[in-house]
Order: sequence, then C-alpha cells, then structure tokens
Amino acid sequence: MAVSAPALREALAAIVGGDCLVSDPALLAALAVDGVTPRWAARPGSVEEVSRLLALASAEGLHVIPRGSGSSLDCGMPPARVDLLLDCGRLSAILEHSPEDMVATVQAGLSLAALGAALGRHRQRFPVDPVGGASRSIGGVLATSATGPLRFRHGGGRDLLLGLRFVQADGTSTWGGSKVVKSVTGYDVPKLLVGSFGTLGVIVEATIRLHAMPPASGAWLLSFASHASAAAFVAGVLDSTLQPERMVVLNGPALKAAARPQARAAVAISVGSSAEAVESQGGDLRRLGAGLGATVSAIPDDFWLELGAVLAGPVRLRLAGEPSKLCFWLAEMEHLAGEASVSVSALGEAGSGAVRAALGRAALDGGWLLRAVASLREGLSAEGGYLVVERAPREVKDEVDVWGPISPDSLEIMKRIKRQFDPSGILSPGRFVGGL
Amino acid sequence: MPALTEARKKSLRREMEALLGPGAVLSDPDELMVYESDGLTLFRALADFVVFPLTAEHVAALVRLAQREGLPFVARGAGTGLSGGCLPAEGGLVISLMRMNRVLEVDYDNQLAVVEPGLVNLHLSWAVGARGFYYAPDPSSQQACTIGGNIANNSGGPHTLKYGVTTNHVLGLEVVLPDGEIVWLGGKTRDPQGYDLTGIFVGSEGTFGIATKIVLRILRQPQAVRTVLAVFNEIDQASEAVSAIIARGLIPAAMEMIDQLTIQAVEDAFGCGYPRDAAAALLIEMDGLAAGMDEQAARVIAACRETGAREVRLARDEAERQLLWKGRKSAFGAYGRISPAYLVMDGVIPRTRLPYVLRRVNEIVAGYGLRVGNVFHAGDGNLHPNILYDPRKPGEEQRVVAAGGEILKVCAEVGGSISGEHGIGLEKRDYMPLIFSEADLGCMARVKRAFNPTGLCNPGKIFPSRKGCAEAGFASRPHPIEEAGLAQRF
Repeated sequence: MAVSAPALREALAAIVGGDCLVSDPALLAALAVDGVTPRWAARPGSVEEVSRLLALASAEGLHVIPRGSGSSLDCGMPPARVDLLLDCGRLSAILEHSPEDMVATVQAGLSLAALGAALGRHRQRFPVDPVGGASRSIGGVLATSATGPLRFRHGGGRDLLLGLRFVQADGTSTWGGSKVVKSVTGYDVPKLLVGSFGTLGVIVEATIRLHAMPPASGAWLLSFASHASAAAFVAGVLDSTLQPERMVVLNGPALKAAARPQARAAVAISVGSSAEAVESQGGDLRRLGAGLGATVSAIPDDFWLELGAVLAGPVRLRLAGEPSKLCFWLAEMEHLAGEASVSVSALGEAGSGAVRAALGRAALDGGWLLRAVASLREGLSAEGGYLVVERAPREVKDEVDVWGPISPDSLEIMKRIKRQFDPSGILSPGRFVGGL
Repeated sequence: MPALTEARKKSLRREMEALLGPGAVLSDPDELMVYESDGLTLFRALADFVVFPLTAEHVAALVRLAQREGLPFVARGAGTGLSGGCLPAEGGLVISLMRMNRVLEVDYDNQLAVVEPGLVNLHLSWAVGARGFYYAPDPSSQQACTIGGNIANNSGGPHTLKYGVTTNHVLGLEVVLPDGEIVWLGGKTRDPQGYDLTGIFVGSEGTFGIATKIVLRILRQPQAVRTVLAVFNEIDQASEAVSAIIARGLIPAAMEMIDQLTIQAVEDAFGCGYPRDAAAALLIEMDGLAAGMDEQAARVIAACRETGAREVRLARDEAERQLLWKGRKSAFGAYGRISPAYLVMDGVIPRTRLPYVLRRVNEIVAGYGLRVGNVFHAGDGNLHPNILYDPRKPGEEQRVVAAGGEILKVCAEVGGSISGEHGIGLEKRDYMPLIFSEADLGCMARVKRAFNPTGLCNPGKIFPSRKGCAEAGFASRPHPIEEAGLAQRF
C-alpha cells in the first residue's frame, strides 16, 4: 500500500516521537550514505520502536539502513536509495552485567568505550578492539565483524557473542543463542548476523562473554630491517608456546602515523598474564627478535588506543589471506604502491592473515587503485583469500565491486538465507557481497 | 511416507552397490539394528539402508538418490551422540561417514588441518602431536566420537572452559547440501567472506547437509600443566570455590565437579584415590606458560582452601594426573556398575547459580524416589546430572523423564540453556519452547528452509514435535569402553 510522504512522516514520528525523527534536509544531508541522502532518519528508543519502524518499512517497501556510530556506514556498495536510516544510538544501556558470571547483556548502540569504562570498574573487558574504534557501537562492531589486535588471543566478535536479539525485516523481535557461556540449544543464529552488514536484521541487544583484565602486562615494538625478518619473527612466535595477547605488523608509514621510530617493518606485541609470566615472555620475545636483528623498545599501554591514525585516509583495503603470508601481502601491496608513489600505511593482524591498509590520495589517480585491487585479488584468490575495499570515494565504488567476487555456490546459499530473512528486500539491499 | 516395497528396496540396493562397491550397503534387518540408536539407547528407529561412502561424490550421489526417491537421510559418525540426533526417521538412509576418516592435510605454518568427517577426534591430536600441536575441543568420548559428529553438535568437553567449543575451531567445510550439490562454506582464511555459513552450519545437528571435508585450527601444546584435586565436605563449598577461582581472574583449562555418589561409584569400581566420604571434589587443571604456573596453582589452591576445601592435592607427576583424570573420566562406567540404566542430562546455568541449582536437582530427583550422580563442567556451569534407575521397574522410566524435564525447567528459569554440548536432537525438541519463543523458532525454521527445503535431511530433529515427549522413554546404558573406565560421554 503506497502512502503519501507526509503520511509516512507522520507514521514514523508517531512511533519514535517527533524529536527523534529527522526530516530536515540539511541534517539528513549530513547523514548521507555514500552520497545518498536518506529520506528520514529515526532514533528509536526501544526494541518495540525498532519493531514498529521495521513493520512499517516492510509494509511500505522502505529501504532501511541500520546505523550505529556511523563509522563504517561507507563500507559496502552504494545504496540505490535510503528511505530510512535507523539510528540505534539511543539504545545504549547496559541491561545486565554479572561480573561473577563474566557475562553482560547490552544494547546495540552502546559504544565500546562506554562498555569498557563500565567493565573496567570490575577489572573486566570485552576484548574486541578495532583500531580507532573506541566510539564504535557494539551493534556496528558485530554487524561488520570488526576485529582488532586483541583477536590474537581472544578471537573475534563471533567467538565472544553468546546471544543476540535482533529485529527481522518484518518487525519481529527475535532472540538467538543464550545468556550463558556455553549452549547448543537450537541453531547458532547469532553467527549469521555477525558480519551481515545490516542485511539480515537489525541488531538491538547482545549478550557477550567477558574476560578478566590481566594482572600484569607488557608490550614491545620490535623493529626490523626487512619484511622477511618481521615475517620470520611472527612465524617464530606462532610456532612457539608463548601466548601473546596482541601481535600486529606495521609497515614504515604505519609506524610514522603511530609516531614511532622509522623502520621497514615492525611487530607490536603485548602479553598479559602474571608478573612472572610477563617478564619471562618479554625476555623470550626480545631474544627471538634480537636473533633476527630487531631493535626492541617498550611501548606504553595507550599505544593500542592511538592506532586509529594508521588507517586514516580516503581509501582503506582489507586483505584476507593465509596467516603465514601476511608479510608477503604487505610487501606486495607496498611494491604496487611504490611504482606509482602511492602511500600505504598498513597494519596486519598476525595469526589471522588480515591486513588493513590506508592508501593515500594518489591511489585515486589514473585508475591505479582499480588495477591494484584487481592484481591483489588475483593473487589472493589463488590461496582462497579475498580483498575488500572498506572505504573509498563514491566514484571509485561506481567502478569496482568493493567486496570482490565470491564463489557462486556459497552466494546461492546466502541469497536463499537473505530471501528467508528479508523477502521484500528492504534491509540494506544490494550493499553486501554479491548484491545481497 | 509409504514403506518401500521389497522389489524397490532390492533395486535401490543394487543401484547403491554399483555406486559404492560391494560391502558398502547394509539392508539386512539384523545388520541395521546396530544403527538403530545412538548413545541414548531407548530412542530407536530402523533405516532401510546403512551406506558407507568413501568420497564426497559418493555422498552427493546418495543424497540425490534419496531426494529422487523421497527418502529421509541422516549422516552418522561413531554414534556416540546423546540426544538421538543421528537416528534415522523410520526408513530411509543412514549415511555412515566412518570410512571417510583421513587426515588430508596438515599446514603447520597456518596452524590448520583438513580432515574427513569420520576421523576420530583424538586421532587428530595424535596426528599432529609429534610436531607439538593438538586439536583443542575434547569431548570426553574423544577416543570414539568423530569430527563430523562434533561439527553437527558443536561439541564441547572439559577443556572448552579456556579454549572454546568446536565452532571456535572450525574455519571451513566442504559440504554436500541436501540437494546433492557439493559446496565449500568458509575455507582456509580466518574471516569468512559474506555470511558466516560455517558458523551457522556447525551445531545444526545434521539438518543442513553433510560435511565431507573440514578445515580445523590446531593449537600449540601448552608449555606446562598443573592438575589439582580439591575435596569438600559440602557441595556448596565446591560451587563457591568455582566462583572464587573465576573471581580471581583465573581461567583454568578445565574445572570439573564430581559429587559424592559419583566418587563412591568410581572408587568402588576403579580406586582412583578420591576420598569416599567427600561431598564433592573439584578437578582443576591449569595450563600455559611454565613461568608463573606455580603461582597460578597456588592461587587456585588458596581459593579452594578459603571456600572450605578440607584437602587440596596437586598432582606430583603425569601418572598421578592421569589417575585423577581417570576418576573423572570413568564415572560412566562406574554408574553402569551400580545401576542398570541412567539418563544423562545436559544443561547450562550461570556459574553463580550452581549452589541453588544443584540443590534443586537433588530435591527434584529425590522427590521422584530416584538417585542422581553429578559429574560436570563446573567452570562453564554445564551440568550433567545423571539419574539412575531400573527400566525393568514399572513406571520408573516415566519418573526419570519427568524429573529430567523439571531439571531442564530449572535451567531455563535461572537464565540458562537446556543443552550445553549434547544437542537437542529428538530428546529435547519438545523442551525448546522453554528457551525460545515461536518467533525465535520460526527464524530457525527459515534458516533450515534455506538449506533443507524438502526437509528430507535428518527430519524430526530440533523443532518441537507438538506431540509432547513424556510418553517417550529414553535412557542410556554404558558402552563397554565406558565400563572399562576408558572413556566417558561428556
């Protein structure tokens, strides 16, 4: 049933209240997604309101994009249109925190920083730390499957998520998973929502597993003269019985962005454990590094919080390859960029094979970026890897599939799932991999 | 579905033999009986055929044949499951993966292994052990259960307290979908591209297809291990010790509780050195770096003493450690010696509710005039009450089932889960509404439709039957290797 625009506006305002519906063109323009200005933006204050918004959107065929902090809204293909930007920012409560059970249930709009502050009082944390992501929302971090250095020890959001409440496209509020640390009761539906980029449902609450802050910690930067030496160090740590919390590889420009002494490549590594174990591991790591010619310096705790600058810039790539090839891909990217004087500031998550890189403006000149993406994708696909253009100007997105090719077989299953969850195609349509 | 005629059966048997070779198709009722149940032995159902493929192409051809004939089919590993999850519907195909049991590839640089579904869990750790690696999820049936079955149930085990369950260790799967297509979900990269199909497949209890290759993470073995036995005069003290240890920020690799009935049964049978008069014992294992390990053990021991442990024993050597673990692992064989049958329960509660829930479990079971032994993963709050009974006594089975249902209700009431690692299968499908609303179950049904639109792939599992389950008697009897104290079920 098609309803006139004023009637729709009224219906939306009736759900969230006039104060929480943005319809002013200037304000909406500031909320544009890939240059597409939403018709409305709503800030629901409850799960019930999210349900009613989606039920209305479903009935009226409104295209909806969920928004957390907005930091990653530009990740994905440009939307054809945005009728309703569904801003989860008001859903920012900690609903339950049981320190003794090390479990918390929080609303999706809560920021990592606010969660961290509340948990810190109990010497606990949710160890998901996308770089520069302190202001990001839990819902957004889960929806984009964002990871950071602590993943080395604790896994990603998918590993720490116990239960999830989300609202389906038709407005049905749905719970999956559990509120305890272990459960195989029914399908693990929360896993599907993690990394689904707002295409399957709107995440409104998450029950997450917490970890204790380590009693002692230490962190070091090991600077190397070559990628090969850095790679050898990483391989040495992975093949040892040492248990770092974080291990990331930074290239020269990344070190500069992080205000660290210059080197060809460096490995930033932290350990968290008892004081005795921290000291012992620190010694082992320094010895391993020294054997490979590393210069070792201690780094302060806030080093990890300030890594955001490393990945700032108009273009950001994410490469997923074999963990053992991390430094290879880093070097390969530098090689391609060097030929065209494009700056590459890159950070690789050791052990996971994920490399994120911020490229300078020169990447946009003369079609270099498109050629580089094609070339890297070709190489990565040979080892089952892939490349995502996580951030780029709109004109680039008009030229390149930011997600890259995906196997038609698995895409077919994903399409079937999408059709089941969102039969009328209102949730972020066309923005995710393969046009999902 | 009408039963297959004898003529049709013969013709299908010939067709499958032509595909798989001689000896790979069973259809004689005597042979089929071996496959009529899993570890939960009073659920029984006979298949028309049990077949033994060697390749993914075999599996795909069998699945296509089943779809063509409208026959239900179900994958089966070692049959050690405890929820009736791999039982055939009446008739149809049981596709045994036991001949697909190879380690196909080990990549130490990327810390992964590619295996076939019929590989026995422990055999993977053996295969990579010499190089200093292991596969972390360790269901207590790991000498017998298969990786494919672990995938179906998202299996846990004692050491999942620190290392996570199966899903945290699976990177990718080659799967034969219910329509017979062979596809890869995930792969060797750590991050899936698109939706996390691997994540949703793991724990889907064989209703989304049949995994034929599995990519698993392997971990470096820890430098050092310490194992502590703490003995308590009151079961609440043991529960409090569990919370006290976690509150100190320690995450032991495993933290297992064994109650008095179980201790006495184990001591009668095997003599593992647990004090018979203790109300409860905690078996706590720490692993990790050698440096700081003694301090960690000291903190665990102090927490146990502060909560009232009357004795705390640190295993002096590997032999003593093995003996303590034998006490834990032989519990099931021991039950078998003191009771003709027992129902193995599986539920999860918030760790802090252990004292309350254990009291309720004991009250509920006593109220039905029955006995219960508790041996479980206390650190995870994953209970395993085992209700002892005699199926020959009229009415006793029904009382066991009723008591089990009440225990599950208590788990749900305190915000827990009705299965931590055994799965829902047939056993608990009618209890699903304790945890999930109709909308939640409807969402799961949509996922199922995406993978399994005809519903022929392992029908009748997970979703409520709407018939109620009270009339169904179910129970477990010990397997011979359990009776010998060699393995246990959880």
